[in-house]
Amino acid sequence: MTVRNDEALAVAPPRAIAALLGFAARIPWKRIGIVVGAYAACFVAFAAFSAWQGGNPLTLVQTMLNSSMLNGDALVQTLLRAVPIGFAALAAAIPARAGLVNVGGEGQLILGAVAATGTGLALGSQVPGPLALVATAAAGAIAGAVWAGISAAARVWLGTSESVTSLLMNFVANDIMLFLIYQPWKDPAGSGQPQSRPLPGSVRLGTLFGGQLNIAVFVLFAVAIGMWLVIRRTGWGFALRVVGGNPEAARRNGLPIKSLLLSSMLAGGALAGLGGALNLMGVEGQLQPGVTTTFGYIGFLACFLGRNDPIKATLAALLFSAIALSGNGLQLVEGLDGSIVNVLLGAIVLTMLAIGRKNGERI
Amino acid sequence: MNIVGEVLTTAIPGSVALLYPSLGELISERSGVTNLGTEGAMLAGALSGVAVTIATGNPWLGVLASLVAGAACGALHAGAVVWRRANQLASGLVVWFLALGVTSVLGSPLNGQVIDPLPAVRIPGLADIPGVGPALFDQNPLVYLAYVAVPALWFFITYTRPGLTLRATGERPAVVFASGSHPSVIRFAAVTVGSALAGLGGAQLSIGIVGNWSDDMTNGYGFVAVAVVIFARWSPIGVLIGSYLFGAALAVSSVVQANGIAVNQYLLDALPYAITIVVLVIVSGFGRSNAPESQRDALSETQ
Amino acid sequence: MPDQHHRTTTGSPPTPTLEVRELVKTFGTVRANDGISFTIMPGEVHALLGENGAGKSTLVKSLYGVHQPDSGQILRNGEPVTIHSPATARELGIGMVFQDMRLIPALTVWENVALHLSDTPFALRPRALRARITETSERYGLATHPGRKVEHLSIGEWQRVELVKVLLGGLDMLILDEPTSVLTPQEVSGLFDMVARLKSEGVAIVIITHKLREVRQIADKVTVLRGGRTILSDAPPATLSDDELITAMVGEPVAILEKRSTSAEHATAEPIIGLSGVSVRRVDGDWGLREVSLEVLPGQILGVAGVAGSGQDELSETLLGLRQPHSGTVMLDGAIVELPAVARMRKAGVIAVAPDPIRQFVVPGMSAAQHAALWNAAGSYSFDTRKADADLARRDAAGQLRVVAGSRRMDRLSGGNVQRALLTLALTSPCRVLVASYPTRGLDILTTERTRTLLKELCEAGSAVVLISEDLDELLTLSDRIAVLAGGRLTGIVPAAAADRRSIGELMTGKEAAA
Repeated sequence: MTVRNDEALAVAPPRAIAALLGFAARIPWKRIGIVVGAYAACFVAFAAFSAWQGGNPLTLVQTMLNSSMLNGDALVQTLLRAVPIGFAALAAAIPARAGLVNVGGEGQLILGAVAATGTGLALGSQVPGPLALVATAAAGAIAGAVWAGISAAARVWLGTSESVTSLLMNFVANDIMLFLIYQPWKDPAGSGQPQSRPLPGSVRLGTLFGGQLNIAVFVLFAVAIGMWLVIRRTGWGFALRVVGGNPEAARRNGLPIKSLLLSSMLAGGALAGLGGALNLMGVEGQLQPGVTTTFGYIGFLACFLGRNDPIKATLAALLFSAIALSGNGLQLVEGLDGSIVNVLLGAIVLTMLAIGRKNGERI
Repeated sequence: MNIVGEVLTTAIPGSVALLYPSLGELISERSGVTNLGTEGAMLAGALSGVAVTIATGNPWLGVLASLVAGAACGALHAGAVVWRRANQLASGLVVWFLALGVTSVLGSPLNGQVIDPLPAVRIPGLADIPGVGPALFDQNPLVYLAYVAVPALWFFITYTRPGLTLRATGERPAVVFASGSHPSVIRFAAVTVGSALAGLGGAQLSIGIVGNWSDDMTNGYGFVAVAVVIFARWSPIGVLIGSYLFGAALAVSSVVQANGIAVNQYLLDALPYAITIVVLVIVSGFGRSNAPESQRDALSETQ
Repeated sequence: MPDQHHRTTTGSPPTPTLEVRELVKTFGTVRANDGISFTIMPGEVHALLGENGAGKSTLVKSLYGVHQPDSGQILRNGEPVTIHSPATARELGIGMVFQDMRLIPALTVWENVALHLSDTPFALRPRALRARITETSERYGLATHPGRKVEHLSIGEWQRVELVKVLLGGLDMLILDEPTSVLTPQEVSGLFDMVARLKSEGVAIVIITHKLREVRQIADKVTVLRGGRTILSDAPPATLSDDELITAMVGEPVAILEKRSTSAEHATAEPIIGLSGVSVRRVDGDWGLREVSLEVLPGQILGVAGVAGSGQDELSETLLGLRQPHSGTVMLDGAIVELPAVARMRKAGVIAVAPDPIRQFVVPGMSAAQHAALWNAAGSYSFDTRKADADLARRDAAGQLRVVAGSRRMDRLSGGNVQRALLTLALTSPCRVLVASYPTRGLDILTTERTRTLLKELCEAGSAVVLISEDLDELLTLSDRIAVLAGGRLTGIVPAAAADRRSIGELMTGKEAAA
């Protein structure tokens, strides 16, 4: 016996190497290859499209990186823009756990900004700073929750598809905002521009590190981690998974389906509303048309790319933020239309949808 | 002209721009695929219609191009959903997003270029009916085609073998497969054809009504089409009613403005969407859904 | 219509309608069919007997072109054939009625038939087709309504439509996959009359079953499958005893549970749940239950019989507090409860084996241990997966139903494994009332007998069991009393000791008798 063992040891590689080989074998190389290949294919296709539009495919990537990540200011801009996108992604991710589709992130962002503007303008100069700040952000969250709650209530009590109502409510939200800034809230000092008065300083988020960065980014990361924990570690999170996975099983186990569906959608709406408010308090400073241009939809796509996982969705939001921002560089340096980045963004998500995910399941 | 006639005259062409994508969405959903990319197909159709009309001087070639562009968007969505089994809602939204990006880039040189819209063809006799005559029978040919399209689609779905197979595919694809047809092929075809109709709806907007291209000009019509199909309970006749109802809501807002009634423009703009949502909520509150079986959960499907 | 071309001329040696030689079909590493051979002659009724998972369905799906065999030969009237698809099978004159009937509920009968027939023209001709359907229906005694939507048909008519559809396609060989499991005894005899009629026309019939009684009743030959292999081939059933057939199916002799001796001593006990005049509406607006009154007594098994869809699901959901009755009262321990009240009933010790575990129990993406945690939480938000995992092992030791490891994902398990996991949770939980819907459906014989023993023990320990089943023999063996539902009405509650298949069967058709 001992002799045979020794022989075996002699031919077998040392244990550390064996472990390493074992680890290497467990890495899904093929899968990684497919994903990397898919991203590369998207970029190549995008470069070709840009070249057709008069861009230089050779400097394209350089320009995009320069304008989104490779210098401090650009990186800060990417982080700042990730705030609304990331919150919109979380707004889709939480209801998705319960099987609900929140395509209304855009409208919830807008109404969050609207409510924050109203509250900030009303309270800013009368209430002590920190209180006004919190109240303004909270107003945004509440407005987002109410807006999402309408879709959720229609779904829970009347069976109306929440995806369709939340989607259409984006258009209503946008019109509400336009109505406000064209008429009642129009800034008299705005030289005729349709925009609200600027928020008072007390309800603006202070900048950090002497740049433009503000605390909203860190709030986003904290909330993402918090949501990840809530979903994995709490009974509510577990119950949401049951409802989302099989509502009939949830019903038969006595889980309160209606309140779970409602609460998930309210939480999602509140997150998007908070995102809209923080974006306004940190970056925009006043309500104006296009305050969220498609960030809500981009967030929804980021949620899909992150497979409804709060942390992955936030990371996807960062990526999309960088891509969205690189449009500026493409416009200035390459002379391309800025919205060309939407093509890249769409191509990436479509490709990821088409290649699905491991275990044969598809996104 | 009285205000009813005025609303009708504005409403009919706009309703037709909604009717085509709604019929397209109906075909797609009857096969079992929801297509939010309808909005994207409309954008693609609107832009390609204008671009080809400008390039060739022939608006009918523009109409043809809009069908092709719409079909291309549909094929993209169908490819992802049918062959790769991607999530229908996500895939549809992505197709819209792609179309939004592409049309915005390709369309920017065309912004502001004006073409002659499709000419109205007056139908003698009928157009002289007081009140509704001019509204119904002094319109462009795409409007007349729409009059025929609804009964034709109804007959196709109800009384032809391919129509029966289409319905069956939306209900239980496994049974269709057992009967010797291929559900994937049927779905691919249905989504593509449906999307081509959405492209036609886009053309009705751009070369049928306004005669130019502007960025994101469909402004949610394609999404409203999805709602119209639900409202219509998946029947072509219902789609007809729904499209004209929402078309009228759209028309009311522009007529009210034109008549100088002091209501804020943006509140009026919100009206069609608000009405759509309210009607949808009320309709879904009544009775059970008669959606195709494979569609019943599709609109709230996640991963 | 049965095709007359292949009938054998008297005198010459008959050619088999179908001969299968050494058929092999594998799925991944599983050899579902491992060298199967058998022969069917014209005008012969051939029973394929075997447990669930023995490979019967795989075999007939190969014959019908749904699967392609890996190797082996199929001879049709003596000629080797390759059956690429169901369409090819139909061209060859082979028809099949699946167990999960292949009809589309939202379409009418004639539309379903039109979809199936290869000679349907581009423009549908409803009137002509309806006439054809009526003609065939009458010829084979299969009453149908060509213009009605399939979703409004009874399960028996559903099957008759399926048969008419297949017969209209033209055939000289018919495969029936477990055709009797959803029928009343009366409907079964109607089906067998039709089989006899086809047989006299020279049609060869393959019937899949696991019921010995049916084999004896109509089969000329029997082939027994076990673990994908042919154990017995083309044997005349009369030459075999029941024990021999069961041993061939299971691989070992099985002690079949004796009929419980029931006593009346519990009859005076206070009911745990009492329904009085309870009516329940279904989602589609029809009545699910109509003025049902019954009592669930401790220490008793109350059997519930009825054709599928007679109100069994509504009854179990009412007992579990899942549904709000339209009228009538539900009493729990003598006090009226307002339903729905799932959590309250659960707290009072009312638990269930769900009728359709895949749809009603399995949460995709969750492990067996997580399902156990969900079960243990009983409606609260305290889920402890780790504890539930250990608990599951303990339950398995008690239940002996061979449940899988707690870490396995439930949505990746076979139907039988899911059922075993659910039974393990339900049968090893302390309870006062167990509402068990079709607890042995889809199980192998050994697990079935184990489950029945556990149900019996549960009842002997003083729990009340409501046993909803479509297997009349199971109900007669286990129950103290049998309640029979027909069209949502309770047509009778009879002591099991005084009941037999015939009398229960008559109560099951009560709806027709009343109409």
